[in-house]
Amino acid sequence: MKVSFPYMGTPIGYKKIAALLGHEVIDPPKPTQRTIDLGVKYSPEFACFPMKVLLGSYIEAIELGADTLISSGGHGPCRAGFYGEVQSKILRSMGYDVDLIIFDSIKRDFLGFYRKVKKIKGKHSWRDVWYTLKFSYHTIKILDFLEQQIETVRAYEVHKGQSTKVWEMIEKKIDGAYSDAELDRVKKEAQEMIDEIKLVQVPEEQKIRIGIVGEIYVVMESSVNMRVEERLGELGCEVRRSQYLSEWVDFNLIPARFSPSREPEILRKGEKYIEIIIGGHAKQNMGAIVDYKEQGFDGIVHLMPFGCLPELISQSIMPKVSEDLDIPVLTLSLDEQTGRANSLTRLEAFVDLIRTRKNGKCIIQVS
Amino acid sequence: MKIGVPRALLYYYYFPLWQKLLLCLGHEVVVSPETNKEIVDLGVKKSVPEICVPIKIFNGHVENLLKKNVDYLFVPRMVSVEKGCTFCPKFLGLPDMVRSTFPELEGKLISPKIEMNSEIIAEPHCYQELKDVLNLSDKELRKALKVAKKHWLKFRSISKKGYLISEALDLVDQKTVPPFENQGDITIGLIGYVYDIYDEFVSMNVAKRMRGLGVNVVTFEMLEERIIDREVKQMSKVLFWTFSNKIFGAGMHFYRNKRVDGIIHITAFGCGPDSLLGKMLELDSEKFNKPFMTVRVDEHTGETHLQTRIEAFIDMLRKKKKKG
Repeated sequence: MKVSFPYMGTPIGYKKIAALLGHEVIDPPKPTQRTIDLGVKYSPEFACFPMKVLLGSYIEAIELGADTLISSGGHGPCRAGFYGEVQSKILRSMGYDVDLIIFDSIKRDFLGFYRKVKKIKGKHSWRDVWYTLKFSYHTIKILDFLEQQIETVRAYEVHKGQSTKVWEMIEKKIDGAYSDAELDRVKKEAQEMIDEIKLVQVPEEQKIRIGIVGEIYVVMESSVNMRVEERLGELGCEVRRSQYLSEWVDFNLIPARFSPSREPEILRKGEKYIEIIIGGHAKQNMGAIVDYKEQGFDGIVHLMPFGCLPELISQSIMPKVSEDLDIPVLTLSLDEQTGRANSLTRLEAFVDLIRTRKNGKCIIQVS
Repeated sequence: MKIGVPRALLYYYYFPLWQKLLLCLGHEVVVSPETNKEIVDLGVKKSVPEICVPIKIFNGHVENLLKKNVDYLFVPRMVSVEKGCTFCPKFLGLPDMVRSTFPELEGKLISPKIEMNSEIIAEPHCYQELKDVLNLSDKELRKALKVAKKHWLKFRSISKKGYLISEALDLVDQKTVPPFENQGDITIGLIGYVYDIYDEFVSMNVAKRMRGLGVNVVTFEMLEERIIDREVKQMSKVLFWTFSNKIFGAGMHFYRNKRVDGIIHITAFGCGPDSLLGKMLELDSEKFNKPFMTVRVDEHTGETHLQTRIEAFIDMLRKKKKKG
């Protein structure tokens, strides 16, 4: 099988699974303007942005020769769980003969899940599968651990753009590591590379920390969110996201008893604003904002795809949250209209506002 | 006590039930007036710009009721009325949204959590919050619910005779309901959510307009549940939203039913579930060789465009029928 999958953050984790199980992996193309254009052209007009980008990615992967596409599904109430059905219908109507394997929750449909795993497993033993999954989990853990460091040092680097370059190099190195020993070696090297980045010393009270919350796809996939993390880093802000791939796995795939996930706690914190889980990560986002405030973060950037159902509820509640917690929130709604200058100006203004707030005293003296 | 019920969203489906329930408990029910320009403007001001039109209109009705000094506002949290299915996330989070949009509502909101596996939402456990707020005994609530349930089932049976919901809401209080007679020469399946089709401001009264042009109109709520269920069961993966499933099932039934000549899908600007189910139905139109038209409505009003498009669609159907 020639397997491919869409980007959501770095795809190294899933790539490892497919490659170790003996499939030919078609490196998924990172979404570009062409991907978006293709997706927009064939998707329903009011489908949410992630669905359009995913469809575009599938088309590009098929053009590169993929015959099997793997993605995750869901069971509502958010639309994302139904993407697969519509997308395969659209792809068929376009004349592509391709297998779209969508993994739904194992709890709901065990048999279906088992069948799909078996299809991908091929002739390998279950022991191989277990090893592969463990190895891939280990990989994404390391990736997320390193990426969080990059998100911090990017704010203070002396040579602008250096950390982003280092991160790209690290990604490539980890991509090439196919055994535990190699992975450990690469991790050490990567750590050294990060430690070598020259930093400006900034006094603790002037450091700005910003949390990015929102819909999981646009938060994790930098090519569709105007690389908001990098932009914030360039503006001198440390950044954390409410979503990391390894955390998603911790919460969704590992049984609660063994899971190190903080998500149940985050959900509890969000209860005050959204009582029940309404789909997507709306409630988690509310919790994440409370959590960020408690950790002393200075601002929140809230990303959502245009017309996202759960996030529209969050957006409606955001003014109250912001007031209650006394934390500035900037909501950016993303879609195929890339008015980059507009959003960047808003980001800059937002960071200026936070900086002014933080050094409030000096400003009063100046004026 | 004066309890306000906004004339929006599921008012068009469940109002007879809720009205009877509150009346039986001895409260006054205040309903906001039919949607008008003023209400829409109020709603648009109170909502985030991207949200769908029905929610904007809902906010307008809430604001209208607030001005009427109601003691309580009845905004149920519709979670599920079918096993395995829920409502659109906006329904799930509706009370949370209302609470933060209208801070003055604090303590005035009654939002019972409706979570059931049947469409007949007359079980006491769904109305726990109502019971707490109004200080009811178990017996009182159960008795009122029984009456409400009967009333609502009557309302549904009127719908199934072929009456539009706007007519059924009036007829439900009458003792006898005459059978409905269709007089048109062509039949159009009109699919869309009740709060889009029957909100006369949003849909510009599309159903009655079509009837005026000599068309028989069938909608999803006129069909027996089992007809819709049969269609929905054939999907490899069902939609997650109860009413979307009903619309999809009705749409497929209309495709297969020889008596239906064409399908019109009314959808509101920014409706998430519709964006997916509309595309699925549209792709099937070719397979069944049956005309399908999408009409997207929003808070703007341009009656002529709707009239023209519907007339053209009907003309086309008549020509097609004559030929074939």
